[in-house]
Amino acid sequence: MADTIPLAEARSLVARARAGDTGALEHLYRAYEGSVYTLARRLTKTAEDAEDVLQETFLEVCRSLSGWRGDGSLWGWVRTIAASKALMRYRREKIRETEPLEEDLGAGYAAADLPLQLDLEAALARLPERTRVVVWLHDVEGYTHEEIAELMGMTTSFSKSQLARAHQKLRQWLGEESRT
Amino acid sequence: MNDIRHANTEELLALRDGEGLAWTKTHVETCAACGAALYRLEQMRARLRALPAFTPPRDRFAGIAFAARRESRLRRVRGAVGLATAATLAALTFLALRPGGDGAIARERAALGRAMTRSEVLEQTLKAVAPERRALSGDALRAAAGLEDRLGRIDAALAEPDGWQQRPDRVVDLWQERAGVLSALVDVHTTRVAMAGL
Repeated sequence: MADTIPLAEARSLVARARAGDTGALEHLYRAYEGSVYTLARRLTKTAEDAEDVLQETFLEVCRSLSGWRGDGSLWGWVRTIAASKALMRYRREKIRETEPLEEDLGAGYAAADLPLQLDLEAALARLPERTRVVVWLHDVEGYTHEEIAELMGMTTSFSKSQLARAHQKLRQWLGEESRT
Repeated sequence: MNDIRHANTEELLALRDGEGLAWTKTHVETCAACGAALYRLEQMRARLRALPAFTPPRDRFAGIAFAARRESRLRRVRGAVGLATAATLAALTFLALRPGGDGAIARERAALGRAMTRSEVLEQTLKAVAPERRALSGDALRAAAGLEDRLGRIDAALAEPDGWQQRPDRVVDLWQERAGVLSALVDVHTTRVAMAGL
């Protein structure tokens, strides 16, 4: 998403919000709530998790307004906070549960691994969480494999292989050819 | 690397993202199957980017603004604690040096020491509970906000030596009151933690 707030306006809003102007804070919230929530929905398991990420993100924005230097995209800064909050949740959950191994991508659906003619939304939701995170951050949000590796605490080769396997599965589940 | 095999998905994705090997690029230019696979990867990215956005089911701004104000108030309260502590150290010195060191003054000093110690222990307990990271709702939230405001007023009074130097016994009262408010704050947060099973 392109930043919906021009840089000069963003600087002014942030300065006012830092001074305690609730109206300026609300303006920032209204400008980004949809994008943050959409990102959170793509990176977390449930709508409730996404709502929590939305709240945690804006509370962090309030705490850290002085951390935005005013020389880059405000949305880029907010998005980094949102992705970090969502992945923090992901990492916490991974400590409590066992993630399917890379080789098990799509495990549980083996019997239905033939073309399913799912729509893209359903196919995306069917991917394991970490694979969906990689696809979304890379193909939609434009993160590099290096950035994803850092955010997820994994290697760049892990990010690349997850992306490739995700594309293979998506094609398969969408009823399209899976050649390699 | 020879040209017998096709490019795999990872190699094609690298090419799509402008990072592919020269071999992949050359191969795709001459291999219809790999050219088509590359096109599909580009199309898939475009389709992913075109998926509709989600809309938050509830307006959370009021809650976020309230929580942000509360955090800000807690930070101010914590900032004032240092001032209050310094002021009270001065109060102890004042009491210790006050002429006519009789039993009443010794009792005053002992009471002040107890109130300060209790206050410090409760403050550490409160910090461990990390109230700024916790979500309260309804009555608990209003109670916590009221207690935090009261704590702020007490600390502001302790930070004003002019106010209590005339009446040193007032320092003891303020510190005892401070310990009571901190105790109530700990109760509000720990009760919530116990009820939520956290």
